[in-house]
Amino acid sequence: MRNIWKSYQMGTELLHALQGVSFEVQKGEYLAIIGPSGSGKSTLMNLIGCLDSPSKGQYWINGNLVSAMTDDELAAIRNKEIGFVFQTFNLLARATALHNVELPLIYAGVGAGERHERAQATLASVELGDRVLHRPNELSGGQRQRVAIARALVNHPSILLADEPTGALDTKTSFEIMLLFEKLHAEGNTIILVTHEHDIAERAHRVITIRDGEIEKDERIK
Amino acid sequence: MNFSETLKLALAAIWAHKLRSFLTLLGMIIGVTAFMVVLSLLQGFNTYVDEKIAGIGSNSFTIRRFSFEDFKNTDTIAEAQRRNKELTFDELEFIKERAQTIDKIGAKALPNTAELKRGIEIMQDVTIDGVEPVIGEISNVDIAEGRFFTDAENANAQRVAFIGADVATKLFPFGSPIGEEFTMRGIPYRVIGVQTAKGTVFGQPQDVFVQLPIKTYGSNFGGLTRSRGLYFEATSKSAALFKDAVEEARSLLRIKRKLPAGEKDNFGILTPDAIAGLRDSILGPVFIVILAVPGIALLVGSIVIMNIMLVAVTERTKEIGIRKALGARQADILKQFLLEAGTLAAIGGFTGLILAQLLGYIISAFLIKTIIPWYAAVIAIGVSALVGILAGLYPAWQAARLDPIEALRAD
Repeated sequence: MRNIWKSYQMGTELLHALQGVSFEVQKGEYLAIIGPSGSGKSTLMNLIGCLDSPSKGQYWINGNLVSAMTDDELAAIRNKEIGFVFQTFNLLARATALHNVELPLIYAGVGAGERHERAQATLASVELGDRVLHRPNELSGGQRQRVAIARALVNHPSILLADEPTGALDTKTSFEIMLLFEKLHAEGNTIILVTHEHDIAERAHRVITIRDGEIEKDERIK
Repeated sequence: MNFSETLKLALAAIWAHKLRSFLTLLGMIIGVTAFMVVLSLLQGFNTYVDEKIAGIGSNSFTIRRFSFEDFKNTDTIAEAQRRNKELTFDELEFIKERAQTIDKIGAKALPNTAELKRGIEIMQDVTIDGVEPVIGEISNVDIAEGRFFTDAENANAQRVAFIGADVATKLFPFGSPIGEEFTMRGIPYRVIGVQTAKGTVFGQPQDVFVQLPIKTYGSNFGGLTRSRGLYFEATSKSAALFKDAVEEARSLLRIKRKLPAGEKDNFGILTPDAIAGLRDSILGPVFIVILAVPGIALLVGSIVIMNIMLVAVTERTKEIGIRKALGARQADILKQFLLEAGTLAAIGGFTGLILAQLLGYIISAFLIKTIIPWYAAVIAIGVSALVGILAGLYPAWQAARLDPIEALRAD
């Protein structure tokens, strides 16, 4: 990943959720964005995740100007460049682990055979190779989050974007998930972690602190 | 996202709510079933009439004392009864001798009913016809056993009978009835032939009759007038000459009856076309009504489907959010819900069709052979799916334009 920078300002006269935020993330970075609730970090995450467009400023991923895109173009970018990991996993309850992981590939137009293979392989890489046909309610919290991570990774995104990925997990499982993130980072994935917990953020290599819609601190800690 | 993926998704979603899907479709199912049943009845009736016409021979027509128009109302009936004289053998001979385009022409007498006896076997309310032997050829009689009358038997007013299949089985349960005798009004008759069984139509048995030579009928039942009045059946020499034959019969009868030009016929000529025309004029309005009823059911069904799809979109807001986050475009979501609504409705149509087919078997067994035309089956499923898709448009559009952030926040 080259050259992300964005400055952004919420356009209405009342609320400025983000007021001129600029930063750049390099390929292979492990970045945490931290801030108290109401700091604008969720807004920032939605923008990074291409779920929303900035009202001002520019946002580039891999040479694509995301901030100028239509809804459908954003959908395509989300599919190709972003891998979401949510606090509450957000798996489809009725679908098997395998089908959940296949979803991004379905929307990418990958054929059934290749899709099964890739989803299977990705599930195996998060140590769930033997749970592919289980539904979310048959899996533990940690396993569910690993399915979600597999889903995020399956289409080889540029950014793995995790929003409070350990927020719904106990300490031990959280630790396992954080180890998994470290492993994924070591394998060359770019990770952006959005959290309000300092001990989670400290596992990253770089921490951006957001307060009142502005970057308060941007420091490299490892 | 391709079609088969979307279809799989739709079927899974419908299957996940089996009972709800079924209840949703009830209106649709009833509508389609009603439509199909009535349509198959009509089709069956039409086919029956066509077969009857074909059975008489499409080149044949009848000449009667009254025409269809005479039965319009009581005034016309009264007038016709005054004007229209009964047909006579003289008139038959007159036409037979002069006609060039008529192949065969013969007389029948209006039927009476009588009680048949043979030993201890009694059969009541049997239709008794009197016919000229040539009628056997004109009406393409299907003979199961034996033969039809000869001219000699008619000329000598012999007591011979050609009977329906039910009469044969009832009076002669053991062995062949040919050559055997039964009695009517104390007079014995010898069976010379049995007609092939025709079954029942609208609950009316077609095989409970006795045909006698017309002269036998006249002498034993009392004069060939009034309730035993004559009518003629005729065929043209070829299909091409049919219209000419009808016209020729009309002209000859007018000449014989000395009707001045301009005065209307004082008799009626019934052609297969007229019968089909009468059928269509009766069934036409029925057809419109039966189209309207399932139409309303379909409309109600579509509203129910729209309602349930709106519910489904609300329930699955989160799912929509997840799918959008993972890269589903608006069109993908739109397709998903449209196809779900369409598939749902098509299942309703298909179920209705199956149900109608089953009902059809029952109706065929008791009333009349019903036929579901293949085009109607295709239309039933096609229209259902289309209605479903239309009903799904608004809910699907609502789903497609959901904001992914809002949708993900839903629970």
